[in-house]
Amino acid sequence: MKMPTARQRRLRTILFWAVPAILLLVPLGTNAYTQFIVNGMLISTLVTLGFTIVIGNLGQLAFANTAFFGIGAYGSAILAAKLGVPWLLTIPIAGVFGAAGGFLASAAALRGIRSYYLAIITLAFGELMRWSYLHAKPLTGGTDGLPMPRETLFGTSLTDDTVKFYVFLVVTVLLVKATANLLASRFGRAVMAVRENEVATASLAIPTSRVILVTFIWSGFVVGCAGALFARHIGHVFPESFGMLHLIASFAMVLVGGLGSVLGAVLGAVMLTALPEYLRAFPGMEELFFGLIVAAVLVALPMGLASLLRRLSPIFVERFYREAR
Amino acid sequence: MRKITALFAMLAFAAAPAFAQDAGWETQGLTDDSITIGVMGPFSGNASSYSKAMVGMMAYYQKINDEGGVHGRKLVAVQEDTACDSAKGLAAAKKLISQDQVFMLQGNSCSGVAVALRPVVEESGIPWIVAQAVSDSISAPLARNIFHGVPTGSANGRAMASFVLSKPDTKNVAIIEHSNDWAHSYSDPAKEYLKEQGITPSLELTMERGQTDATAQVLQLREAKPDFIIAALYEAETAIFLKDLKKYGLGEIPVMGTAGTDLENTLKRTGDFDTVKNYFVIHSYVDNLDGPKMEKWADMIKKYYPDEELSTFSFVSIGSAEALVSALEKIGPDLTRSKLIAALEEVRDFDTGILSDPITWTPEDHQGVKGSAVAGFVDEKPTVLKAWGQPY
Repeated sequence: MKMPTARQRRLRTILFWAVPAILLLVPLGTNAYTQFIVNGMLISTLVTLGFTIVIGNLGQLAFANTAFFGIGAYGSAILAAKLGVPWLLTIPIAGVFGAAGGFLASAAALRGIRSYYLAIITLAFGELMRWSYLHAKPLTGGTDGLPMPRETLFGTSLTDDTVKFYVFLVVTVLLVKATANLLASRFGRAVMAVRENEVATASLAIPTSRVILVTFIWSGFVVGCAGALFARHIGHVFPESFGMLHLIASFAMVLVGGLGSVLGAVLGAVMLTALPEYLRAFPGMEELFFGLIVAAVLVALPMGLASLLRRLSPIFVERFYREAR
Repeated sequence: MRKITALFAMLAFAAAPAFAQDAGWETQGLTDDSITIGVMGPFSGNASSYSKAMVGMMAYYQKINDEGGVHGRKLVAVQEDTACDSAKGLAAAKKLISQDQVFMLQGNSCSGVAVALRPVVEESGIPWIVAQAVSDSISAPLARNIFHGVPTGSANGRAMASFVLSKPDTKNVAIIEHSNDWAHSYSDPAKEYLKEQGITPSLELTMERGQTDATAQVLQLREAKPDFIIAALYEAETAIFLKDLKKYGLGEIPVMGTAGTDLENTLKRTGDFDTVKNYFVIHSYVDNLDGPKMEKWADMIKKYYPDEELSTFSFVSIGSAEALVSALEKIGPDLTRSKLIAALEEVRDFDTGILSDPITWTPEDHQGVKGSAVAGFVDEKPTVLKAWGQPY
């Protein structure tokens, strides 16, 4: 894999900021429906990003992602609906709730549980959270869910998808940039080292437990923030939004985009959020076509869509990125 | 003065597009020969079996179209999948409203999705007739453009309690239910109705989903000796409960079930007629599905959907489609969204010939169907009942 030159890295930085700058113009060409889908893509980007850093970069088969997402969404909804906290303020708080979820989920990994066992434990954590949403009715509204209160931002209703878009865009860009920087730092190198060989990494005096803990917490924070965005996106939080189907969809986004790649998280999220909308034209066949397309992408590009871009130019090669084996 | 006139002229000119948009909004989705109706349902996903609920309504549209439409306009359904998922449902609604620009919406199974859609549809102002989902919070508190065309959860719960009390000398009522909101949506209004009639349930029991034995509950019931039992249980658990009732000699106590169980399916599950002979369920129709009063509706669905396997769900949306067509006919050819909303609010005691209770929409109340019939075995035959011992 050819690494980018200093000039290409500068170009990459310009490109990174140019894309959101161009995206600012998106509402000029959308209607309420297409804007809603674009907003969904931004949320999926964060969900996929949080997921990929744990299973792709850290190499832990942990499936607590949907739990973090639900914790963030319910955290935001409860704060807004029950305590009257302005939604904007609930976003970082939901991130902290998600991070707390990440801390809890990391406990199993820190106890040395790995592979399928970690997968089962984290899946159980997700189901436990869903059970809590269903049964903590005074707080969560049970099966009826929890509606988000109507709010305005700078005098415009937050039911307006364009207003939501700008908030979602800012949050997404900041978290993507922060995650990309984190993975490109010494810490990111340690994360990749843990994935490649945990024992060898520990022998280099790298505190692997701390690396695992911080990665889970950061994953929880990113996905928790996404949960807060989702709560406002839908306007009503229901337990069924945080079940196995959501987890599978997020996992597919990670794989289609490219395991362990920030760029892949964005590409996978955008593609798999948009695809079902295109497939609306084939009622009754959507699931079949969706499955076929996802399978075709994975067969043609086992390292995901990001690998295609990496082949095109080294600009898209992320620092310390190694293809998962 | 000239400057002021010029200013007003400029303001009027600037405001003209807004007025033009309002006028356009009223007739969006209408042409001289068509009315586009957005139909949302779970056509994919785990709950796709509920999409059957759309079939009756769509068949009715086609019947009306074959008869020449409404004032020369054909009813054109634009279907969108919600997959019974709130995010996908919202995308579907936004697509229908802002991209397909349908005139109105009708349909929607899955209460959770419909509840999530409510703010979007309410804000859009376009008429929406909820033709399948039952949650009360879809149409209450009142939203001017949202109409419920099937009995809501509270209507069904009250109908259950009303039937129970229609049995002479019923004083001692017990309740057994799942500990979830689905069960509470039936049991809470039922309890409320009982309370209004001065009756407090003698026993309130829980049977969890997936439970394979109801001995503990039945033994408590044996102590309480109720005259009637209200059971808000899913079909599988209902069958277990009824079998255990018979096993412990309580098979003669009548049991009132929800619309979530089907009489004959429950019989199939227990495999013993004695267990269901005193079992009653909420049944929103005027007749049994294979009864003579339902025949024309079954024939209509078969005509347009020959491969459709008929079930309770297949018929549920026909009544509200009839009420819609009736309102459209009354308005005349000069149709607008506001006129449709006003016409729907004038629907009174509309006998659909298929729903057991009429539809009434008023400006104050858009939950149009206030009751439900009950089905039970009479002389070993499934029979639709108005009240205890009174065939529909």
